[in-house]
Amino acid sequence: MSAEIPFKNPGWAGNTGEFDLTEEQVRGADFVGRRPLEGGHPAGASSYPYMLEEKAPEAALFEGPHLERFEKILTRYPDKRAALLPALNLAQEVRGHVSPDSMRRVAELLDLPEAYVRGVATFYTMYNKRPVGRYLVQVCTNISCNLCGADEVLDAFLRYTDTELGETSDDGLFTVIEAECLAACGFPTCVQINSRYFENIAPEDVPSVLERLRAEAEGAA
Amino acid sequence: MAYPYVSDREVRVLSEHFGDPEARTLEGARKRGRYVALKKALGMGPDEVTEVVKASGLRGRGGAGFPTGLKWSFMPKEPTKPHYLCCNADESEPGTFKDRELLRWDPHLVIEGCLIASHAIRATHCYIYCRGEFFEASSVLARAVEDAYEAGLAGKDILGSGVDIDVTVHVGAGAYICGEETGLMNSLEGGRGQPRVKPPFPAAVGAFGMPTTVNNVETLAAVPGILSNGPDWYRQWGTDKSAGTKLFCVSGHVRKPGNYELPLGFPLMDLIDDVCGGVRDGNALKAVIPGGSSVPILSAEECGACTLCYEGVVAAGSMLGCASVIVMDETTDMVKQVRRMAAFYAHESCGQCTPCREGSAWVTKILKRIEDGRGTEEDLDTLLEVTTQMTGTTICVLSDSVAAPVHSSIQKFRDEYLALIRRGERVGAA
Repeated sequence: MSAEIPFKNPGWAGNTGEFDLTEEQVRGADFVGRRPLEGGHPAGASSYPYMLEEKAPEAALFEGPHLERFEKILTRYPDKRAALLPALNLAQEVRGHVSPDSMRRVAELLDLPEAYVRGVATFYTMYNKRPVGRYLVQVCTNISCNLCGADEVLDAFLRYTDTELGETSDDGLFTVIEAECLAACGFPTCVQINSRYFENIAPEDVPSVLERLRAEAEGAA
Repeated sequence: MAYPYVSDREVRVLSEHFGDPEARTLEGARKRGRYVALKKALGMGPDEVTEVVKASGLRGRGGAGFPTGLKWSFMPKEPTKPHYLCCNADESEPGTFKDRELLRWDPHLVIEGCLIASHAIRATHCYIYCRGEFFEASSVLARAVEDAYEAGLAGKDILGSGVDIDVTVHVGAGAYICGEETGLMNSLEGGRGQPRVKPPFPAAVGAFGMPTTVNNVETLAAVPGILSNGPDWYRQWGTDKSAGTKLFCVSGHVRKPGNYELPLGFPLMDLIDDVCGGVRDGNALKAVIPGGSSVPILSAEECGACTLCYEGVVAAGSMLGCASVIVMDETTDMVKQVRRMAAFYAHESCGQCTPCREGSAWVTKILKRIEDGRGTEEDLDTLLEVTTQMTGTTICVLSDSVAAPVHSSIQKFRDEYLALIRRGERVGAA
C-alpha cells in the first residue's frame, strides 16, 4: 500500500494505486460501514460482518430481525443440525463472541446436545471463545505473506497497540492475533480486521491503519 | 491496464471481467453473456451436458485434477433420492487466491456454473461452501443469488424449463480441512470438518447421506464457456491431457504478483520472468512451490524445464495442485519457511489420524529446534523418517501435505540445514 493513496479502497485487492474506484463501487452501497440490521437474503445462510449489539445477558439469543434470519436459515437445509454453523455465526454477530451460554442456547434451538455444540464450536477458529476487542486484527503470517515480511507487520501491530499476541488493548479497541492464509497471497501482507481485508500492508502503514480505526470507533460512539 | 496486473500473454476467459464492478450486477452479467449457456444446458438432457464436459477434457481445479465430466457420470442416473452439488469455495491452501477473485468479481459466472452442473448431476440443491473469512465475497455472492432467484434463474422452474434447483450460500467458520471434500460435507451437515473414510464415495453417500458431487469454484466457472462454445473451443488451449486455461496465483518474491489466466502447459520460467516481471530486486531464484504449500518444492534448476500442466509439473518432480506458484529468491530462509508451513498443518490437522496429528506437531517442533540453532544432524534423518511414515497412511492427504515440503526441502536444501546446525549460519539473517 503506497502512502499517497491511503485506504481509498480499504481491504480491496486492487489497492495498488492503479484504480480509481470507491469502496462503494467495489462493495456495493450496502456493504459500506454499518450494515442494516434487517439484512438477510433469500439464500439464507450467509453471514454478515460482526456487529456487536448491546444486549442484556438474559435476553433471548435471536430476536426480531435476527430471529427472522435464523428461521430463514432453517428452511435451507434438509435437517436442523446443518444450521449449526450459520446459527453460531449469527450468535457471534449478535454477541461478539460465542460464549458457553450462547452454545447452550444454540443447542436448545436446534435440539442438539450441548456437548455436541461445544465440540463443533471449538473445532473452528473463527468462533471467538472469549470476548475480543472492538477490532479483531488478524495478521496473515503464512508462507506467501511471510516471504514478504509479515512477521514485521505483526510486530508493528503489537507495538503500536501495546498488546501481547492474543490480548486486548487497555482501551478495549484492539485484539491482535496471527492468522493462517487468508487467500490474498498476491497482495501481501494481508490483514483481516473484523470483516475487512486490508492488503499490501507494510509495517510503516500500521500507524495510519490504527489511526483510521480509532477515528471510526470514536465516530460511532 | 486493468486488474492489479495483466499480461498480454494471458488468455482471459474466466478472469475477463476481473476489476469491472458492473459485471457483479445481474444486469451487467447478462450484458456480458452470463446465463446464455444455462438456457442452452437446460434444453439438453443431463447426460448430454455431462458428455460435452467430458469431451472438453476439463479437469478439477481444486488440486487433484480429476476429470470433471467423469466425476459427474458417477452420479446415479435414475434418482431415487435427492442429489446435491457442493461448490467448494473454502479456498484455504496457502498461496491460492483465485476463487475469492472469481466470487467477488464474477459471482454470476460461478452461479451459472453451479446451476449447469446441478442439472447435469440431477441435483435439486446446490450448496456453495464459502470459507468464513470471505465476508465480502460471500456477501457479493449471496446478493447475486438473491438477484438470480428474483429473475427466475434459480429456484423453481428455471427459465420455464421445469427444472428446479435451489442455491444456498453456506458460510464456514475457519478450518482448512473443510476444503477436503468429505470434510466439507461433514461441516455442511453441522459437524466438525473431519474427513470421512472412502469408500463410500460421495457420489454414492455424500452430504446428508445422499449422492453428492463436490467441485471447485474455478472448475464450475469454466463450465458455462464450454457449454456455449463447445468442447473443441476449450481444447484449443492447453495440452492433450490438460485442456483449457487455468488461473495461476503467483505470490512471493516476484515484481508483479497476482492472478494470471494462462493456457495450461505454459512454461514456468516464462511465467516468472515474463508475465510477472521477474524475481524482485534482480535477485537470483532459489526455489518455487508450483501448486500451493502442500506440494514438493522445486529447486531453481528443476524449474527450468517445467511446464505448468498436470503432467508437466509431475515430470519436474512436484504437482500442479491448484496452480499456486510461490516464488522464493536467494534471500529466503528455507528452514524458517518450511517450519512455518509445517506449523500451519499442525494447526489445521483435524486430529483423527495419529500419523498426522502427532507427526505434524513433532515435525514442527523439530524444525523449530533446528531453526533456533539447537538441532542435530540426526534430526534431519528423523524428519525424513517421520515424513515418510506420514505419507499415504491417513484418511485424507493433509498428512502427505506436511510431508511433501519438509521432505523435499531436506533433500534439495540439505546444505542449508547443515550450515544452520553446524555453524548457526542462516540465510537472510542480518
